[in-house]
Amino acid sequence: MTKTDPAVDLAPLTESVVTGLPPEQVRDDRRKNAFRKPVSSLIRHAILIAAALLMLYPVIWMVVSSVRPNDVIFREPGIIFDSFEISNYVDGWNALSYPFNTYLLNSALVVLGSIVGNLVSCSMAAYAFARLDFTGKRFWFAIMLLSIMLPIHVIIVPQYVLFSQLGWVNTFLPLIVPKLLATDAFFIFLMVQFIRGIPRELDEAARIDGAGHPRIFLQIILPLMVPALATVTIFTFIWTWNDFFSQLIYLTKPALYTVPLALNAFQDAQSATDFGEMFAMSVVSLIPIFLIFLFGQRFLIKGIATTGIK
Amino acid sequence: MSALGELRRIKGSTPPKQRNQNRAAFLFLLPWFLGLALVTIGPMAASLGLSFTRYNLLSPPRFNGIDNFVRMLEDERLHTSLGVTFQYVFISVPLQLGLALLLAVALDRGLRGLSFYRSAFYLPSLLGASVAIAMLWRQIFGVDGLVNTVLAWFGIEGQGWISNPDTALGTLMVLNVWTFGSPMVIFLAGLRQIPAMYYEAAAVDGASRRQQFWRITMPLLTPIIFFNLILQLIGAFQSFTQAFIVSGGTGGPVDSTLFYTLYLYQRGFANLDMGYASAMAWLLLVIIAAFTAINFWASKYWVFYDDQD
Amino acid sequence: MRGNLRRRLGVVAAIGAATTLALTACAGNAAPADEAPELELSDEPVTLSFTWWGNDTRHAITEELIAAFEEEHPNITIEPQYTDWAGYWDKLSTSVAAGDIPDIIQMDEKQLSTYAANGVLMDLGGLSSVLSTGDYPAAVLGTGALDGTQYGVPVGINSYTIIANRDLLDQYGVDLPDDETWTWDDFVDTAAEVAEASGGAIAGTQSWGFEDGGLNNWLRQRDSALYTTDGEVAATEEDLESWWEFLLEATKAGATPAPSATIERESGGLAESFTATNQSAFGPWWSNQVQALRDASGQDLVALRVPSTDGASDGWPYYKPSMFWSASSKTEHPAEVATFLDYLANSEDAADLLLAERGVPANERIRDYITPKLDDVNQTVVGFLDDLAPEVGDAPPATPPGGGAIEAIIDQHTQKVLFGELTPDQAATSFLAELQQALDDAAV
Repeated sequence: MTKTDPAVDLAPLTESVVTGLPPEQVRDDRRKNAFRKPVSSLIRHAILIAAALLMLYPVIWMVVSSVRPNDVIFREPGIIFDSFEISNYVDGWNALSYPFNTYLLNSALVVLGSIVGNLVSCSMAAYAFARLDFTGKRFWFAIMLLSIMLPIHVIIVPQYVLFSQLGWVNTFLPLIVPKLLATDAFFIFLMVQFIRGIPRELDEAARIDGAGHPRIFLQIILPLMVPALATVTIFTFIWTWNDFFSQLIYLTKPALYTVPLALNAFQDAQSATDFGEMFAMSVVSLIPIFLIFLFGQRFLIKGIATTGIK
Repeated sequence: MSALGELRRIKGSTPPKQRNQNRAAFLFLLPWFLGLALVTIGPMAASLGLSFTRYNLLSPPRFNGIDNFVRMLEDERLHTSLGVTFQYVFISVPLQLGLALLLAVALDRGLRGLSFYRSAFYLPSLLGASVAIAMLWRQIFGVDGLVNTVLAWFGIEGQGWISNPDTALGTLMVLNVWTFGSPMVIFLAGLRQIPAMYYEAAAVDGASRRQQFWRITMPLLTPIIFFNLILQLIGAFQSFTQAFIVSGGTGGPVDSTLFYTLYLYQRGFANLDMGYASAMAWLLLVIIAAFTAINFWASKYWVFYDDQD
Repeated sequence: MRGNLRRRLGVVAAIGAATTLALTACAGNAAPADEAPELELSDEPVTLSFTWWGNDTRHAITEELIAAFEEEHPNITIEPQYTDWAGYWDKLSTSVAAGDIPDIIQMDEKQLSTYAANGVLMDLGGLSSVLSTGDYPAAVLGTGALDGTQYGVPVGINSYTIIANRDLLDQYGVDLPDDETWTWDDFVDTAAEVAEASGGAIAGTQSWGFEDGGLNNWLRQRDSALYTTDGEVAATEEDLESWWEFLLEATKAGATPAPSATIERESGGLAESFTATNQSAFGPWWSNQVQALRDASGQDLVALRVPSTDGASDGWPYYKPSMFWSASSKTEHPAEVATFLDYLANSEDAADLLLAERGVPANERIRDYITPKLDDVNQTVVGFLDDLAPEVGDAPPATPPGGGAIEAIIDQHTQKVLFGELTPDQAATSFLAELQQALDDAAV
């Protein structure tokens, strides 16, 4: 094993952590590593590229299949671009009751509402759990965790009855309103953990300056937990974008169908499925999440270390 | 833990004991309380009530006492599904978290093209729950799949990994590990949350990088590791989608991938036995709660909170 | 005391939700709608919801049909709700639980009695002034009736069949067997012959034992049946044991692929099956799947009769309704529902759009009307069903409530037999116990 194998030796790990140090020290490191670095980073790139290819094989297979004629997909396995059938994209886009952009837009609406809801309501609840001292805190925290331990399949029927009484079936409300009310308690817990990592001295200093809790929350805590907020955004986006079951149950009008429901409409185990078109539209539906991640990660890695709080 | 002592020294004096902050807390928790009262508690209570009934969804529930729970004692498929789920939780969660942590640290900084690698490693998580995953997985672990093709280069005859009862669960564990991007992202965010001042102070004291990693990075990352552990634990106990998609909803071959929630779903919706499914759900809740409680208790010994005194 | 107030609010909300649940569920089981012999169409705008399962092709043609209907009946709006097969039942049962039953429901034979017994479905007899069923053969129409009450109008008819790939048989120099006289042994021998001739490149036949069609045929050939007319299990342990025993023999003879390959393909549905990918010479299927298989395989597939024990095909083949049109017992617009059902069942305009996509029409007049318009593949399917007519016996007794679970039970037991975890006789005992349990659980 070479010294640079990341699976075995921790040296590169510590190195990469430490290279995140303030600029003057990084410069210091560069000088020290002037000789070792090119070789080491070449090997690391090689390993990472190999790992990335392995990780991406199924994704590549899907992209290749999306430009193959339907009858070839399963008869000829492998991932060689042997044909380029753009028609899967054109036909797939128009294969269902509405053009595919309708479903993309519907999903975007649900996702947007969910993200706003989760960011606002969960961060508020997290602040209370992490920073405030109140009666029955441990009890409520336990309740919060318990609320995410029941599988959705037994919750959905009573919940459907409830929303159906409110006349909310066939609207996006049952999908968005719960998020505005912080029912995705995972995110509260996540943000509690992050807030607890922020030194209390900062709050104290603000308090001495006369700031109340709303100001401490908005002006101290929120800016410092941008990575956590980015994480919540990315996760909410993906979970909502991929969520099939609750969208299936609550949305019955094709005009309101979201991407997972639309993709599902391509297939039926009892009859033929147009896989070429389904894969093509799967690729289309992956693009927004991929872009969100690509650009979102900028905020993800923008932590205290880089915002210069000392 | 001299470095931690160091940290405490840097932080200075401990904050004074805070007075009770009920009022502020209530306001901050208001949306959550509303959600709890209006959206969460009702359905949870209803499912608890239904667990004492015979309920087929099409007709009103009928009270049948603890029948559902008694039947659970003798239900062999339920016992199988518990076994499958426990195996899955105890093997795939540590593997996934370990890999996620390793790569988060490796991809944190210090190399060009990191944003590309992060995206590449993350992309599979986006696909994890899509309907296309079943086909993709057969392309890899099927009789004519990628794994067997590679094995054939070395003259090894493969097998149908997905359809062999001995290996099917393993492929689902690989599938779970493959989507390590989610915990990785959380670790990445956690790494960036560690204040640089700690490293500076440590460097001043002459701590080596390795020491800094073990004495600063790891301790300060423990709340996030803990969160990920709880999140993945609960997620793995409730694991449903992947087995549902890959096995076509059956939990096969021969119930080897019959996750607890998959069986619960079959009982609730395919057999229209929602009373029994609700009873199963509450057993699962007790199991998950027990494991979570143990972890919270154990966390006192290894999780370091910066706001602790 | 704020904490107490909060807790009290939580409890109130919980009780509220629970009562709501119970109340709606009660409402869902009110007395069946009064029979309305004289149905009066409303002049006001009426909206009906119509739900079905299927793939994108079906969704497209059904929406066209809705548009055509709405043009003829400007005050009626049909609201489509569609999903795939698996999601369909989750959604339907959930909406019934909340009392939101769709007005017109595409129903499956295995679920019909379950939904009917729970008071979800309307007695279509009450619609007879508008909905005519005169062009349906009595035997076929009877498949949608339970204890004399008509809960569903059969849509298409189907028959179990062995699909043979003629291109593959030619390629390996094996003659197409005579399906009027072939026995199970002939079938397995021929399949094994093809597999051997191909040197293992293709399988002889796909395995069976993953749904109840094959089992029904096997039982009927032994003068048995899956259920009695009273809704009891009629199949015996010997019947089932012989069925799995024969599957094992076929596997041993090399006629079917290895169990693991079989199971893997099975979870991939039709598209990834051996037949659809031209990797087996024979495969057991339903006749309405020929078209989809042809499209996927691109080769010459032909439907053959199911082999028999004694080489004689008489009395045991049967027509299975591919699905039914049913209506909600709670609909507020029975007259409009009847109008739409009549359009689905009897209109030539509707048939022009539907063709044979939901199976060869069960309505004989419509079948005669539509046959010349079908493509070659579907014409051969109609021909196959017509040829079978003299040999067809009564339809098997209806699946009793709870029988919908049978597919999962069969699948699970066949897997255990193939992987050697259960012997055929153990599987038979366990199968009967589990099926009986499912029926008992569903007893209302």
